[in-house]
Amino acid sequence: MSITRLTRRQFLKAAGATTAFAATGLSFARTAYAAAADYLQKRLAAIYKHDAEMPLRKSQDNPMVKALYKEYLEHPNSHFAHHLLHTHYVDRSDGLKKLKAKGAKLKM
Amino acid sequence: MREIEQVWTLSNAPEPADAARTYFVQVDQSKCESCGECENWCATGAIQPADGKNGPRTVVDPAACLNCGQCLYHCPFGAIYEGVSFIDMIEKALADPETVVVAMPAPAIRYGLGEPFGLEPGAYVGGKMFAALRKLGFDYVWDNEMTADVTILEEGTELVKRIKKEVDKPLPQFTSCCPAWIKFVETYYPDLRDHLSTCKSPIGMLGPLAKTYGAEKTHIEPAKIFSVSIMPCVAKKFEGLRPELSDSGFRDIDATITTRDLAYMIKKAGIDFKSLPDEKADPVLGDSTGAATIFCATGGVMEAALRFAYEAVSGKTLKDVNLTAVRGEKNIRSADVPIPGGPTVKVAIVYGIDQAKQLCDEVRAGKSPYHFIEVMTCPSGCVNGGGQPIPPGTRMADKSPLEKLRFALRRTFNSRATV
Repeated sequence: MSITRLTRRQFLKAAGATTAFAATGLSFARTAYAAAADYLQKRLAAIYKHDAEMPLRKSQDNPMVKALYKEYLEHPNSHFAHHLLHTHYVDRSDGLKKLKAKGAKLKM
Repeated sequence: MREIEQVWTLSNAPEPADAARTYFVQVDQSKCESCGECENWCATGAIQPADGKNGPRTVVDPAACLNCGQCLYHCPFGAIYEGVSFIDMIEKALADPETVVVAMPAPAIRYGLGEPFGLEPGAYVGGKMFAALRKLGFDYVWDNEMTADVTILEEGTELVKRIKKEVDKPLPQFTSCCPAWIKFVETYYPDLRDHLSTCKSPIGMLGPLAKTYGAEKTHIEPAKIFSVSIMPCVAKKFEGLRPELSDSGFRDIDATITTRDLAYMIKKAGIDFKSLPDEKADPVLGDSTGAATIFCATGGVMEAALRFAYEAVSGKTLKDVNLTAVRGEKNIRSADVPIPGGPTVKVAIVYGIDQAKQLCDEVRAGKSPYHFIEVMTCPSGCVNGGGQPIPPGTRMADKSPLEKLRFALRRTFNSRATV
């Protein structure tokens, strides 16, 4: 439907709806965003509050971590630590190329 | 399909070999109202109108999707479902007396699990979480925060080696905890893989440690262990299935569930969560620190790493551990951190794939000034991850009348555009 083919009545209806959408969109998007942000801030604040209450706050001070290295892994980045705790990454771009070759449109 | 804390979920537990072709997130087109909210949360564009115009949305292909789940978290109509669930498998393992079932809960769980039981957002429920896991029948509760600390030692040491050029790996070093971010690099920036820390994520480390060191210390046969990763995250379901995560000689992680899945299991078992006592994790792999618990907030991994690197490089004690320079709410932040006897470490912290992409482009162009970059996909980090309880006011039924009107108008406009 082209805008030039709208009747006067249809045009007024669309203009009214656009105004309402813009108005409610703006103010309520802001309220909704504020509510979500508040929710998020409460979760975040709880994390740092708990951190501040912990008796130990540095990873290197964790007694079980110390024991793990002493008894098992020797030291960070040791050969054995590399075997158990490190990994490699896969090139997955092929699947994406195939998808794009089929005509799929993505944002990136 | 069953509804788990406002998210519909298939009872499908794929094999590792099939993980890459599995839809962890998909749209139920019969429920989709075409409002387009999901697309606002999807950086890659994997979720889009199925008809190429403005009709119901779909995830086009698992190859394009990072499994972050932000779309299903924010869908006002609850129309986006999870395609993978290990709940049935876990219940079977819990019922089998021969199987030693190990729970491995992530930091963020303890800041979200209270919400489905009516507690305040962010209420810390770590003690009740450990108690609930034992009530559910888990034989051992080993804390993922323990291996968050291990991650810091491994990743911090790796960073120092890269800076000192003791290893042939480029700078900046990217963090590697976030599974959606890892899949993003592997898919969209595979040439930057060498910039990712080679460290597995904390759960990628706890799985194999449970079946080797943990098993040895507690005299359990590793073959009898069934390890359950409990995450605020949908993408961790994919990570747990990565075929390469089998360095213990077994599957390192046998099953992965979200915070919502755990709340569902606790309710189903009839456990009165709010009245549970505070308990602790089990020895051997159960200690934690403040550095570990902040892993689930944006900037947290960076702060924890700096608390370590400062002491490791300078040999001095870090007196004030509150490194507020790396905290904050902005989605891209940077800081220069001077270390006595060492370099001034240039760091950046970013959340959101759009923002991470900007930094990737900088690195690709050879113009990145940083040594270390922390990336998390979800807004403000894992604590707001796609597997966390859905905040009130997200689903349509929870919205105010005027919010409802706004979505109704948006829907009308979307469908008008197709005429």
